[in-house]
Amino acid sequence: MSDLLNITIDGRPCTCEAGEYLYDVAERNGIHIPALCRSDAFEDHRACCRVCIVEVEERGRRKVVTSCVYPVERECTVYTNSEKIAEERAVTLALLSKRAPESETIAAMAREAGGAEGFDRLVTLDGEKCILCGLCVQACDSLGTGAISTVNRGVDKMVSTPYDKPSADCIGCLSCANVCPTGAIEYAQDATSRTIWNRTFELALCERCGSPMGTKDAVHRAAQQAGVEEPRICDACRKRELADEMMHTYRYV
Amino acid sequence: MNDTDRASKITAIIEAYPADRRFALAAMQDMQHEFNYIPEEGLVALADYLDCSKAHLYSMATFYKALSLTPKGEHIIKICNGTACHLRGSVNLATELKRILDIEPGQTSADGEFSVEYVNCLGSCALAPVMVVDGVYHNKLKVDQISGIVESYRTDDSKDVVSND
Repeated sequence: MSDLLNITIDGRPCTCEAGEYLYDVAERNGIHIPALCRSDAFEDHRACCRVCIVEVEERGRRKVVTSCVYPVERECTVYTNSEKIAEERAVTLALLSKRAPESETIAAMAREAGGAEGFDRLVTLDGEKCILCGLCVQACDSLGTGAISTVNRGVDKMVSTPYDKPSADCIGCLSCANVCPTGAIEYAQDATSRTIWNRTFELALCERCGSPMGTKDAVHRAAQQAGVEEPRICDACRKRELADEMMHTYRYV
Repeated sequence: MNDTDRASKITAIIEAYPADRRFALAAMQDMQHEFNYIPEEGLVALADYLDCSKAHLYSMATFYKALSLTPKGEHIIKICNGTACHLRGSVNLATELKRILDIEPGQTSADGEFSVEYVNCLGSCALAPVMVVDGVYHNKLKVDQISGIVESYRTDDSKDVVSND
């Protein structure tokens, strides 16, 4: 086991292993650091929303770091909401609000941060929710389908499928939409189909209760990756079936 | 160029490299050089060969200015718009090219012969304003020289070579 370090976060003594990310240590100790582009789904973090900044005091020096990717290497004192951090975080969130004015999450965080002055002259991107953190692309890549990516660069950068056309690689699994911190990826779903990234997928329905289990492509892929047969009934029905079987086996009926 | 020719050229370009993702950019540059753009079938074939997603290559192809996903002209005119060239009137060169070719920087002429684009500093500030046509530098340009340069590249046979399929 690696060495344990004693650090102080907002006056609270915490213990962690060397190399652990500061954000993880804080969360484990019940200290909440606001963040957008950090997801528990991945081990490597984007560190691009810059909302999770904190001030670290090490060897008598204070510096601002992004806590989601800052590994604790030595004993230190951390301030998650010092005057400097509060001000910088408010500026970051004010800029993000300009970038993604439709996001209620960001609006709420910006309000909580107290707002920042002097950004009225900046253009607001009407109708935008995306902050281009790239979590959706990371999710799509790690699922192994790689259907979406960031396209163009600079002010034209966006997330899309190749040539903005419906992608044959997409399986409609919603990993991208679910991981998005601002709900920027839109999709529509009715009783039998789901539409995302301009493509409509047929849903796989539970043979017993008829509830959707995901798109046929996604169910097929999940089963293929797990090396099992495709499920015909949903999780809830399967559990019920198993419970019934157990009851009969152990003669509770 | 017919489809079979194009397909075999794409295969030749791709297979000149080992099937390793770090060669993606090199292969795409070769395609750009061969076709003046990256055809969609080239992108798909490369993704298959390198066993990576089409989206990944599309992301790269849209990121680099040197790569284009739409056909570029036979002759590529680059107007330097670095600070020195800008101050010495690179905008006037663009205006003159617009008058002659009826295209803005970033566009390709209808006959597929010329593409005009702005580039940032070419490092030849002492020669400002600079315009590069097919890799040849034309320096300390005056507006009245432009049409002569353009005409020298406009050849009759090039019209037969370019196809807009």
